[in-house]
Amino acid sequence: MTNSNGAQDAVVIERSFDAPVELIWQMWTDPTHFAAWYGPDGATIPVAKLEVRVGGTRLVCVEMQTPGGPMQMWFTGEYREVVENERLVYTESMSDENGTVRTPSELGMSEGHPVTTEVHVDLVDLGGRTRMVMTHVGIPGDSPGAAGWAMAIDKLASYVQTHADR
Amino acid sequence: MTTAVIEEDRLSETFAALANSTRRAILARLADSAATVNELAEPFELTLPAVSKHIKVLERAGLIRRGQQAQYRPCALDAAPLEAVSTWAEQYRAVWEARFDRMDDYLATLTETKDRRRR
Repeated sequence: MTNSNGAQDAVVIERSFDAPVELIWQMWTDPTHFAAWYGPDGATIPVAKLEVRVGGTRLVCVEMQTPGGPMQMWFTGEYREVVENERLVYTESMSDENGTVRTPSELGMSEGHPVTTEVHVDLVDLGGRTRMVMTHVGIPGDSPGAAGWAMAIDKLASYVQTHADR
Repeated sequence: MTTAVIEEDRLSETFAALANSTRRAILARLADSAATVNELAEPFELTLPAVSKHIKVLERAGLIRRGQQAQYRPCALDAAPLEAVSTWAEQYRAVWEARFDRMDDYLATLTETKDRRRR
């Protein structure tokens, strides 16, 4: 997105789907439906725990087949806003299978990726069709809950530093 | 790895700085030209200390540089941290577009199944 200051600080995608709003809502909130589209091509979603309520946690596993065998990536987060068929907001961080947050650099990813991001999904009922606006932003530092995330990141930073020489 | 963590902290700081609409507006103003704190305060109906606070946050995040002329110390935009943010977002755009293409395909298979049941 190019916003008013000319910077690109988020991904904003608008799409219209030829399906009722209730079904699009389920695409995001029903584990079976979610698993059907979320993973990259050739990947599967063996785990999708979606506690769709404010404060509920999510834990998603993306499994990819590589020549060296299956590779799993885990993502965790928390639901911030849940308005059925209208708006869904959740956070997302890379994690281990227990939902413990791990930094992208710990996992060998590019350094430009923020530790925690937030996904906003807004749905508009167009009478049998649905307009969806998805926004994906790096988590704002002064939003509620940011202090908790900052503490988790601090802990991880010191953990990584103590283990950096291995 | 330590360097990576420091750079990541920097990015978190950039995001924190961008999370505030007044600070984004200040950056937008500075995209046109450098300005003094007084000039920046004017359109926002904010006190000078309030604007100074926002400027300090932006300065810490490396988003603005301040001149050395003691009295005015004009602020100027530094776009380098924004480029790191843009790289992240642009990588994700392709990921999401592909996901929504698959959602579209998946929805089509669901609708087909329903149509077949109807027949």
